[in-house]
Amino acid sequence: MIDSQQASAALDDINDVVQRVRQSRIYQIASLIVVMWGVLVFAAYIAIYIWPRQGYMIWTIINLLGLVISVTMGVFINRRSGTPRFPIRALTTFLLIVAFGVFCSVVLGHFGSRQMTVFWALYGMLFYAIAGLWFGYAFIVIAMCTTALTLIGYYYAGAAFLLWMAVAHGGGLIVGGLWMRRI
Amino acid sequence: MAELDDIIHQPLRLRIMAALNALPSGVGLEFAKLKKLTGATDGNLGAHIETLSKAGYVAVEKAFVGKKPQTTVTATAAGRGAFARHVALLQEIIAAAGGR
Repeated sequence: MIDSQQASAALDDINDVVQRVRQSRIYQIASLIVVMWGVLVFAAYIAIYIWPRQGYMIWTIINLLGLVISVTMGVFINRRSGTPRFPIRALTTFLLIVAFGVFCSVVLGHFGSRQMTVFWALYGMLFYAIAGLWFGYAFIVIAMCTTALTLIGYYYAGAAFLLWMAVAHGGGLIVGGLWMRRI
Repeated sequence: MAELDDIIHQPLRLRIMAALNALPSGVGLEFAKLKKLTGATDGNLGAHIETLSKAGYVAVEKAFVGKKPQTTVTATAAGRGAFARHVALLQEIIAAAGGR
């Protein structure tokens, strides 16, 4: 038989492993969604570079597409983990974030297309950073890198800004998501 | 007070069972992932999984993903039960000593 100190150490060990497994599963699931958004965002910047007048429509389509895929993935993931629920809280969170972003960027601020692009990229990364405080440092790393690259592009990329953003924002999410799967 | 389960109580096996038990029922972990999460070495982990498998606490499934062999380890119902009893016993020991 063991004493209470050894039992306590064993329980601490168990808790440590459980925390690691939980974080690993969060990263596994989140990485799929992060990579998916990375691909969509990359495609959106390239499309806007080719058809600059269609920016609003392209972003609307991309966001709706991303939302539908994210919700579908959420339903699938919930089902696999034995909780067949519609991810209503995640969907509501996303819609509130978008609504507030639209209010700030369209109603309050009258941004030009370059400012609008930077605003949405930084605004999105703000929530990655917040997610990082709750779910793991990988989100913070992705947010900080993408934010830094976005600001560099805003000031220095000139006419190649959208191409820069495709790589920095879209590519950053793809690389970050793939990295998440390895940690 | 019941006796501790020696198969589970060994530190690395306890970590393996804790990791597998933290997953939903029927969901397993790949060998490489399990190694990372438990901080074990290849040989060490293999030997302890073998012990747990012989006791019926884990199921080991080997498959090929492309050309790469992949081993997945899943906690069985018996393993989950044994782990839950083991944790309850650890808590009992602490409670009996007036701790936590």
